Amino acid sequence: MDHNMKILVVDDFSTMRRIVKNLLKELGFENLHEADDGATALPLLKDAGDFDFLVTDWNMPGMQGIDLLKAVRADPNLSHLPVLMVTAEQKREQIVEAAQAGVNGYIVKPFTAATLKEKLEKIFDRIDG
Amino acid sequence: MSEENNDLMSDARKLADMVNSGDEAGINQLLDDIISKRQSSLFMEVGKLTRELHDALNNFKLDSRINEMAQEEIPDAKERLNYVITKTEEAADRTLTAVENSVPLCDEMLQRANDIKNDWERFKGREMEPGEFRALSKEVDAYLEFLINDASQIKHNLTDVLMAQDFQDLTGQIIRRVITLVGEVEENLVNLLKVSGSQIIKKGDKDKAKSGLDGPVVPGLDDGGDKVSGQDEVDDLLSSFGF
Repeated sequence: MDHNMKILVVDDFSTMRRIVKNLLKELGFENLHEADDGATALPLLKDAGDFDFLVTDWNMPGMQGIDLLKAVRADPNLSHLPVLMVTAEQKREQIVEAAQAGVNGYIVKPFTAATLKEKLEKIFDRIDG
Repeated sequence: MSEENNDLMSDARKLADMVNSGDEAGINQLLDDIISKRQSSLFMEVGKLTRELHDALNNFKLDSRINEMAQEEIPDAKERLNYVITKTEEAADRTLTAVENSVPLCDEMLQRANDIKNDWERFKGREMEPGEFRALSKEVDAYLEFLINDASQIKHNLTDVLMAQDFQDLTGQIIRRVITLVGEVEENLVNLLKVSGSQIIKKGDKDKAKSGLDGPVVPGLDDGGDKVSGQDEVDDLLSSFGF
């Protein structure tokens, strides 16, 4: 796992963004950026073009996480971006929808630092391996 | 035979007798009596219904409790719940700031202790030159100084985390009051449904009326729908998709 990779954290609650960012820092990642919903995240991803990883909530005003995921997969420049969903949505059909839309990992809130670490490692083991 | 029908039968016999004897005045009088008996019971029934309707409408209008709830307490509850959001957000921010300020201090503490430990091992193994030892001695002095400041700063930050939890008392009280109000609103709505004679919507229709995302799962509350109960079940479900 490259600890210099550029990560975008998307959540409408600033406290949640801070928690995720602090946990990622704890795991050794420093290049962290944030957005408060899909509508602000998507132009960031498109314009910068060099993000390596996306962590997003599902339920947000404006553009929701699932729509952000679909938009990322539909954009040829972004379609390979690994996406981790961190959300309170626990319906089976929603998890299946995210899987079918091409999510790389799905974490339900409330979650622990250990879960985040485990999912990250799993995602990048698959990509690197 | 009921009393009413007995009366009617005797009236009918009287009427038949009067017709036979050709008593015109008697016939007219008897028919008027029969009609007025009918009418008075009908009027009584209509009167009773009118009174009930009047009372029901009056009760509804005069139930100032409903008015009070709609005009004051529900907007008030909304304000209070907004205050809960503000307070919990403030507490989360304050806690996060204290943690964010403490982590680099801990990192530095660890880093410098590790450096000194390595030098100290070399000193114990007699691998150190006198000049190096003097440098180490200075470093230890500086580290102790740093440690005293650092530890008191961390302690200060921890106290801040502690104090940030005082929201719980206030938000707990506020939420409890709102729960009481919601209970009262529910009771009044049920009464209203009873008065208006509508049937309470069957439970099964609830899911159809709801739309959008469910948000966090609350223990002991079933929002309907097939839900997972935690990360392990999410992982199980996703493993069937080859995750």
